[in-house]
Amino acid sequence: MRGLTKEYVLQRFLMYLLTIWLGSTLIFVIPRLAPGDPVSEMVGRLSIDAGYIENADKLIESWKARFGLDAPIHVQYFRYWGNVFRLNFGYSLSHFPTEAWTMVSDALPWSLGLLTVATVLSFSIGVTIGSLMGWRRTPRWLQLILPSSLTFTAIPYFMFGIMLIYLVAFELDWLPATGAYSRRVDPGWNLPFIKNVLTHAILPVVSIVLTSMGGWALGMRGLMISVNNEDYFLLAQVKGLSPTRIFFRYGVRNAILPALTALALGLGGLISGSILVEFIFAYPGTGYTLYQAIISQDYTVTQAIANLIILVTATSVFLLDLLYPFIDPRITYKRTMR
Amino acid sequence: MTVGQQTADETATPARGWGLNTWDSPWLNFKFLLGVAIVGLILLFGLLGPLFWDTDLAYTGAGPLNKPPVWQEGGLPEHPLGTESNGRDMLAQLILATPSSLKVGFLAAIIGMGIGMVLGSVAGYVGGWWDHVIRTLSDSAVTIPALVVLVVIASYVQMTDTTAMALILAAFAWPGPTRLVRSQILTLRERSYVRMAHLSGAPALEIMFVEMLPNMLPWLAASLTGGISVAILGATGLEVLGLGPTRVPSLGLIINQATTNAALVRGLVWWWLPPIIILMVIFVGFFLMTIGLDEIANPRIRQFSSSRRERSAAGEAPPVEHMDGGSAAGRDAALEVDDLHVHYFTPRGEVIAANGVDFSVRKGEILGLVGESGCGKTTVAMAILQVVQAPGRIVQGEVRIEDQDLVSLSGKELREVRWRDLALVPQGAMNSLNPVTPIREQMGDAILAHENIGRVELEQRILGLLNDVGLPERVINMYPHELSGGMKQRVCIAMAIALNPQVIIADEPTSALDVVVQRVVAQTLLEVKDRLGVSMVMIGHDMGLQAQLVDRIAVMYAGNLVEVVPVESAFSEPLHPYTQLLIESIPSIKERKPLNVTEGLTHDLRNPPPGCIFQFRCQHVEQICRERRPDLVERDDDHLVACWLYEPERHALIELEEA
Repeated sequence: MRGLTKEYVLQRFLMYLLTIWLGSTLIFVIPRLAPGDPVSEMVGRLSIDAGYIENADKLIESWKARFGLDAPIHVQYFRYWGNVFRLNFGYSLSHFPTEAWTMVSDALPWSLGLLTVATVLSFSIGVTIGSLMGWRRTPRWLQLILPSSLTFTAIPYFMFGIMLIYLVAFELDWLPATGAYSRRVDPGWNLPFIKNVLTHAILPVVSIVLTSMGGWALGMRGLMISVNNEDYFLLAQVKGLSPTRIFFRYGVRNAILPALTALALGLGGLISGSILVEFIFAYPGTGYTLYQAIISQDYTVTQAIANLIILVTATSVFLLDLLYPFIDPRITYKRTMR
Repeated sequence: MTVGQQTADETATPARGWGLNTWDSPWLNFKFLLGVAIVGLILLFGLLGPLFWDTDLAYTGAGPLNKPPVWQEGGLPEHPLGTESNGRDMLAQLILATPSSLKVGFLAAIIGMGIGMVLGSVAGYVGGWWDHVIRTLSDSAVTIPALVVLVVIASYVQMTDTTAMALILAAFAWPGPTRLVRSQILTLRERSYVRMAHLSGAPALEIMFVEMLPNMLPWLAASLTGGISVAILGATGLEVLGLGPTRVPSLGLIINQATTNAALVRGLVWWWLPPIIILMVIFVGFFLMTIGLDEIANPRIRQFSSSRRERSAAGEAPPVEHMDGGSAAGRDAALEVDDLHVHYFTPRGEVIAANGVDFSVRKGEILGLVGESGCGKTTVAMAILQVVQAPGRIVQGEVRIEDQDLVSLSGKELREVRWRDLALVPQGAMNSLNPVTPIREQMGDAILAHENIGRVELEQRILGLLNDVGLPERVINMYPHELSGGMKQRVCIAMAIALNPQVIIADEPTSALDVVVQRVVAQTLLEVKDRLGVSMVMIGHDMGLQAQLVDRIAVMYAGNLVEVVPVESAFSEPLHPYTQLLIESIPSIKERKPLNVTEGLTHDLRNPPPGCIFQFRCQHVEQICRERRPDLVERDDDHLVACWLYEPERHALIELEEA
């Protein structure tokens, strides 16, 4: 009855597969739904850039054959899926002998590190602020200060990032503007390198945390206010429990459940936003690599990264889902009842 | 801001029709209106700009290169905001770019909302297989990182204009609205007023537009404004990456050109900063609209902020006025309530929910507190427990247990008295247990808050208590959702007797249970009372149940006690006309009689009439009743009533005086 049931895990796993399927299929289908085909578009763009291209028709034909675009669409689709499953995306077009997958897996740790730190920070700070804002016993001075933390909520990460670069990196020269580490340090598990990496991460992390924590705070505030009106919250007061216990065990404990769901649902948006942050800070993660692949028209790397990001997002959501029944005892019960 | 949307408010007043024309309409929310004004101004700048400024200057070579704005050294009056590295005039670029950025956002969000409303309505209304498919699809679509897919698509498809981009963005804008509309419909269709409309045979579309849409409107609007800013963000993101339409000026494109031309390093602040400022202002505008709409949609948030404002305005908890501390009155009283006044400070005036309520509960006695819904009996219970919810407040009176006034206690002192001396069996046992912790913990923390005992002893205590109320031992490790309604209520009783309190307040302890379970719970309460000798206040409106359980009955009407009477006399010779009405209205199997409870309505509680509060519904009303309020005085032995009918002498005396 409690914890993980087989049905629940199976259901979540199917959802997981569906998400991956949906995302990857979108990447496959939408370019093909557009008028014209990718190759002609690309050659067309090339010829605009270069003025004129000899034998454009033949070029298109041969490129189509190269990408397998001359096969019927369902054959292409199955081939595509075979590749996604084997994580085989072929060679990078712009860095030829390197495999697309290698480039992607080099970039992944940077993104994972940056995003995990930023997400954990912004979620926990935001939830703390929101809980205090929705709690009647929070001291007055704190109630007055807390809303100021929402100042940057409406600003997208990357714009805030640009301003931080300008102010902190160029004008004040306090922190490095771009990259993940300086050329002058040796990559490896040594102290100078780790310190260097951390200083480089400060600005991107700060721009994500400051702009996204307000969203969590606002949501959590609303949830806490709802919990404040629950009967069990009233009974907890009448029981003479200490305010701290009521706040944590009856308030936050209940209000955080929907916030966690929102976190799972919001991961996609967080990851989307981080692409732009990486672009602005030239941070060598998946987002930046994706951008470079697109600029150099490296389609294999583009597809590899897009699929990987979808895979990682879906996996994180799946893991959060698996965690959920341990936090909310009602969940498996409800799901199996339906 | 989307997190709270799932918890649609149950207490929300249903809106019927659109109600936009009144001055206290919730739509007059400051944040919302400020947001509308901000976005409106930006829109005006984009729309009216071309009338005042030559937008042809936005193209390459229109002026000299890299000129700063006019207020800086080297700035030119013909290019007030300066020019960038291709000689384009910044002001002209901004005028052209602003509306196109807004247009993408509006278009994508509106299309997404349209799709979402159709899918969400189908899922919510048709249900079944459709619901399953749509829900699964939107649940998984919402977790896909949209910008990643967008970037990939944009790298294949050259987007020529903003419409094409808006269409592609719309493909990612539907899951949010779909989920919202579905959950709103599922919530709303269970509401009684929507069910009523169904039963009265109103066509589905009429129900949708008259009963449901106005109630959903703030949610939908919040979702739309949120959706617009997400779409603008998506479009701008693509443009900043250089993947948007390159021939149409857009704010993101300006930022892209600035960053790729190293404007940051070269100090060309006037190139990259203005588009960012405009975008920020747009986002702040939509953000204000969204949180304003959230407040409109969720009255609890509104209440929370306004009650806080009110408290700060009135000063934190002004000292409660006391009558003389006549504690000698209660000879063997376990609980004394003395001249209790509770007011609710609403925006439309003070609601007087308890007006000088005065009674005591003797040791080992059960006092029934009865009256129709809204008469203030639950307010009195909450006031005894010192948990009157804002905007309500105890403005006067005392609540004494063992000569200690609870109203004057606070903080640690109050916490110590709570539960040890005064416990509660709550009204909605369904929702009175914390859904996410096992029974062991909820009973345990009540005990541990007052006593310092070890784990083993604690477990023995809890098991003993469960046994006392006839529950099996395994309940200790169960969660509330695993128990039936009657079992939950018995857990609450077990919890209430855990510390052997002086007084237990039972707030309609059986109201949500079916008749058989009602009997079991009532029986449990009686057993517990007999064994522990505890005093109880039993709140309820079921006179039949009261007759079986209580020793004395206190009848409340519109915030006032009108009669306090031993239970036998209450049924054999009720004195107050309202009590008579209540007794008469008990259905009887032996004879059928017409119901005559609904004669007349209760007066407006904000503005009680002078004289007797029951005058508008009373059959025996006289002139004196309209002028002077009767006091609660003892007629027979232990039988108190507040009515002029039983005070002819005083009545006559007063008339004499006035003459």
